[in-house]
Amino acid sequence: MNTVNCTECDAAITLSTGTEVGEIIVCPDCGVDLEVTSLDPAQVSPAPMEQEDWGE
Amino acid sequence: MNETLSGLVSRYSPSGSEKPAVDWLVGRMQALGYTQSFVDGAGNAVGVMGCGSRQVVLLGHIDTVPGELPVREDKGVLYGRGVVDAKGPLAAFVDAIAALGEIEGWQFVVIGAVDEERDSCGARFVAAQYRPDFAVIGEPNHWQRVALGYKGVAWAELTFLRAQSHSASRNQTACESAFETWSLLHGYACQYNAGKPRAFDQLLLTLRAIRSDENHLRQRAILQIDTRLPPAITPEQWYEQLRIFAGDAEITRQSYAVPAWTCEKNTPLVRSFLAAIRAHGGTPSFVYKTGTADLNTVAPIWRCPALVYGPGDSALDHTQDECLSLEEYQKAVTILVSALTNLINRTENKLQNTTAD
Repeated sequence: MNTVNCTECDAAITLSTGTEVGEIIVCPDCGVDLEVTSLDPAQVSPAPMEQEDWGE
Repeated sequence: MNETLSGLVSRYSPSGSEKPAVDWLVGRMQALGYTQSFVDGAGNAVGVMGCGSRQVVLLGHIDTVPGELPVREDKGVLYGRGVVDAKGPLAAFVDAIAALGEIEGWQFVVIGAVDEERDSCGARFVAAQYRPDFAVIGEPNHWQRVALGYKGVAWAELTFLRAQSHSASRNQTACESAFETWSLLHGYACQYNAGKPRAFDQLLLTLRAIRSDENHLRQRAILQIDTRLPPAITPEQWYEQLRIFAGDAEITRQSYAVPAWTCEKNTPLVRSFLAAIRAHGGTPSFVYKTGTADLNTVAPIWRCPALVYGPGDSALDHTQDECLSLEEYQKAVTILVSALTNLINRTENKLQNTTAD
């Protein structure tokens, strides 16, 4: 089992089997979105920011 | 200079006059080694790479708004009509798939659609022709960003007619009825938008024109209202709302209305792009747009994992300052190749694991 720590609240999060790099997971403790950036070793980063923009 | 990009931008192709650019792009894709390239029934340029059962459609648009601009390169930046919206993204698709080549089990379809700047005839045609497993739509969003949502649109003209009367009669005039309706609609939108900080979730109304005239029998007032819709309101729901507020006014729908569309962000396609952007030194972000794209036309029909990607700054869309850094263009091509390679590997690994189980 891969375990990572939330970048916001440091909660330990166990990645489920089949987790992919680039997957967005939610910290069960603080609710922040995290992006799985590596599986070996397991690492997460804050999920991509959401922006708004004009444009077709 | 990149031949695909400069070749496309050099062929001025406002909506309705895309043919020279389409013919050139079909030839370019053939020269780049595509399995086949052709002009489809709507006049779109289509290039197909491979013949596998898993299909990825990369849908860009080849038309531009009118207004030809001199095509020139200066210090690594290409200027010209459409270089941002959206020949840069389309050319990047063409070059990326050429670099990827044929992959067993996969088929990549690159489409340069016509008429996106008007009624999206090209996209409406291809929506019925394909059922891809994944879709990438080409619009400028900078190389590090993935767009996941575009607002919907519904345009309408409201015509108010009143019998001619003496101005001392205190009867409501056609202009007064029109003004009252606009005030009601504006108030409704303000109330709807309260507590919704994102423009993407708001109902955005634009009063584009007011016209009025009269003769000795009747008065007439016309409002032209453009509406940018949030995901929670479909065009049909909006037209019903207009009916309620417009009273006895005649409502004429204009152009093709499309609903807002939000792409799911936790898909193998999005993950593949995030990983590719990070692998090449970028910090990915998601973007939601207040405009509309061919995504709105095809995604509700295809209902497959989709996203919008392409180099360039959409703030330059439709302006006289359209330009694109050639370095950013090349970066976007690299990201596309890397992301699609990721997608192929993920899908194949998943299939192997499923088979092994």
